[in-house]
Amino acid sequence: MLAFLARHEWRLLTADAVVRLVIVVFGAALAGASFLGVLRGAREQRTFEAFAARASQQRAQPSAVRADVFANDQGVLALLPPAPLGRLAVGQSDVYPSYIKITARHLDSLVTGDQIEHPLAVASGHFDAAFVILFLYPLLIFAVGFDLTATERDRGTLRMVLAQPVALGDIIAGKMIARWLLLAVPAVVIPMLFGVGTEPALLGVWMIAVLAYGLVWHGLALIVNARGWNAATNALVLAGIWLLFAVVGPATINLLITVVYPMPSRVEAAVQARAATQEATVQGSRQLGQFLQDHPTSANVGREGMRQFALLQAARDKQIADRLRAVESAFDVQLDRQQRLASWLGVLSPTMIAQQVLLECAGTSATRFHHFDRTAASFQRQWQAYFQPLVLDAATLTGAEIANAPTFTYSEPPVSDRVRRVVPAIAGMMLVGAALLFLGFRHYRGYAL
Amino acid sequence: MIGGGRSAALTIAVKDATETWRDGRFRWAAALLFVLLVAAVAGGVQYQHQIARQHADAQQAERDAWLGKGDMNPHAAAHYGAFVFKPVQPLSAIDPGLDPFLGVFVFLEAHKQQLARHRPIEDAAPTRRLGLLTPATAALVLIPLLVVSLTFSSFAGERDHGTLRPLLALGVSRGSLLAGKAIGALLPLFVVLIPAAIIGALFIYLNRPADPEAAIGRRALVLLAVYVAHAMVWTGLGLAVSARARSQSTSLVVLLALWFANAFVMPPVAMAIAKVVTPSPSAIEFAAAIDDEKATWPDWDRRVERVMERFLEGEFESTMAPANVEVVALIESEAEETALFDRHFAGLFDRYAAQARTYERAAIVSPTLAARTLSMTLAGTDDLHDRRFAAAAANYRSTMLATLNNELAKSGRLNSFDYVRGRDLWEQVPPFDYDVPGAAWALSERWVSVMVLTTWLAAVSVAAAWSVLSMRLE
Repeated sequence: MLAFLARHEWRLLTADAVVRLVIVVFGAALAGASFLGVLRGAREQRTFEAFAARASQQRAQPSAVRADVFANDQGVLALLPPAPLGRLAVGQSDVYPSYIKITARHLDSLVTGDQIEHPLAVASGHFDAAFVILFLYPLLIFAVGFDLTATERDRGTLRMVLAQPVALGDIIAGKMIARWLLLAVPAVVIPMLFGVGTEPALLGVWMIAVLAYGLVWHGLALIVNARGWNAATNALVLAGIWLLFAVVGPATINLLITVVYPMPSRVEAAVQARAATQEATVQGSRQLGQFLQDHPTSANVGREGMRQFALLQAARDKQIADRLRAVESAFDVQLDRQQRLASWLGVLSPTMIAQQVLLECAGTSATRFHHFDRTAASFQRQWQAYFQPLVLDAATLTGAEIANAPTFTYSEPPVSDRVRRVVPAIAGMMLVGAALLFLGFRHYRGYAL
Repeated sequence: MIGGGRSAALTIAVKDATETWRDGRFRWAAALLFVLLVAAVAGGVQYQHQIARQHADAQQAERDAWLGKGDMNPHAAAHYGAFVFKPVQPLSAIDPGLDPFLGVFVFLEAHKQQLARHRPIEDAAPTRRLGLLTPATAALVLIPLLVVSLTFSSFAGERDHGTLRPLLALGVSRGSLLAGKAIGALLPLFVVLIPAAIIGALFIYLNRPADPEAAIGRRALVLLAVYVAHAMVWTGLGLAVSARARSQSTSLVVLLALWFANAFVMPPVAMAIAKVVTPSPSAIEFAAAIDDEKATWPDWDRRVERVMERFLEGEFESTMAPANVEVVALIESEAEETALFDRHFAGLFDRYAAQARTYERAAIVSPTLAARTLSMTLAGTDDLHDRRFAAAAANYRSTMLATLNNELAKSGRLNSFDYVRGRDLWEQVPPFDYDVPGAAWALSERWVSVMVLTTWLAAVSVAAAWSVLSMRLE
């Protein structure tokens, strides 16, 4: 019976010009956004491969080179491969860098670059599949779902239908299933076509997350319909709910975060770092100056002189780096605490929850970049352990020494970790969606014809 | 009652405004918008105040550190470097614009030139990317929505109820009907906006910068004019669509779609187009281009040798002692490095400027985009103002390095690296001072957006008039 009702409703819906337009707009937006993502992903992949090739070429060079030149001046790039599912969501990849320059010096390990991008592009956000899912999908759920029974009731046709041996609950269920299928199918299938062959497990989780997010909005639509208002009122109320949960809510929560949980100030941290390293910097510079005074021209210091210079420089760097690290780690602890406090406020908006889940699946959340930072930092320690003795010895590297140098390989965090991180949020959305649907069906029992 | 043109328009306006005002839904929405506007202004002012204080304090601490760093070689002082903090604009409380996406300070040092570092967005939670409630978003996103809800039924509603023909049969001209409907929609809106604007102005006034030269009054007034013009564009749009639409629900759907496209779809799409038209390098490509060019340069010893050769050929005046060849090499390499960085950064910023121009031109199809651009510009938080600041910082860097290097060259010491100077030389480098250009400069740089917004205002006025004159009555 239910299948029959759903099929019937499906035929009615697909014959409606407005609904057809909705589907076309949704499909075109999803396909366009995913296509842009594929182009972007291909470009990132080309850049990554070009620089990876450069790195291995650099290592193959046979010419004799001084250890400090090879290990510090040239250094090596730790490269983060583009996230395969990043084509579906740009996320934070326009903010965090995809490479870190590694040298054997203590100080450089503390400086990471930024991703460069037009600030307008970062501020405007990106037209990617995640954007379409987060904003347009719920809006269209409301567009096809605002008039579940109101017009039929007002025209009296609902009463006629109910004169047949069918329950109102079944009719509602049939309508909901048809509407759910209408949008869930493109929402799942179109990005899947563009994401096929990347990371199947995460793509699967992405789709479940999209369905769970849709469930919440379908549930909201059902509850509003069950109130028994007319179609125009339903439309206005649902538009208001969308505005509140998807736009005003996140914006207000973000304002609240900046006022109540302001992130620690980078400016103050910079001043503190300056103060903490002042003495070491000045003292180190004086020692290096003294050295240069003893060796009037750099051309003839000799190997012993260069050893001394390297030793002085390394000692100064280490002293500064240690103090800087103390300031930085205090800052990081505070930053981490603030971010965790702030993330709690996010549970108030389904859009905020879903955004975090989708970015986590796509691999363009902050998590993956932090993982890359940590991997690169541990590689830096290896690189330093290998080259520092050679630098301090003012050695000229042999081909074998270069060939045996440590190489950086990025390993993705295990998929199970990434999935585990998003499961509670997805389960939460599903529970809320199911609860809303349950309440909606219950309210419908008292629907006045 | 309904007689001459003016009084008929007024009667319609008062009737519509009263009806709107009596509608509980409107009062709820208006109250919510009012609360959001005030909260946005208060939050913005509080945040802006806090950041401005931090930056001013930091700049002072930095100056003290620079002066009090003790005696050292002038080139070591150039390596010691200087931090320059971006001054916070008072109107960023209204529209923080690109500030959260731009670095907050620049480190100026010998041999290297960098972009401003530490964009606040890097430290923010990822959900921050979903947008921040600011007075500007309230004015450019929420107010148009309220305008849509006030205008979508203006004519379509009367037609649906069959009251449009009787109304015109009373002898009301279509012109006064349009005027009445427009005023009737704007009146309830102003009931919300005027108190909110007054409260906002009060907040800004109380939080005004101590610097009397920072003329924010004119910028604030033009900003208000932009917001009002934008709201009027949407009013005209709403009335025109309402007059032409088949029914009020069609009118609502069309207007909501236009609103969604303007507020949410256009900014990222305009930027995507701009990036296709003018691609810009990623961080790694940009850094590699500079490194590659530098790699072709002679190394330090070779450089010194060459200066020595030129010295022996008699290129320099006799006042230059032979041991100063390293200083000559230093000054020359410094100049070459500066030129290299300047060239690469100029290339990058040319590309960014081209992208911004495409973005600005895309506003031809979106009045909200034009208003958004103008809003950021008038608040002093757009990319143009950032470039001005970056240029001032680069200028300051070269002044600082020139002062230090010249001192080194003048020293005439046998070995210039043992030459040590103290506070008197550090004081010769003036403190960093940056003056924000006035509103006239900002507007002249954004003439495209000014034109687009004005054209839209004129076009929707004509469209509304034409739609009402030619509208169907049933």
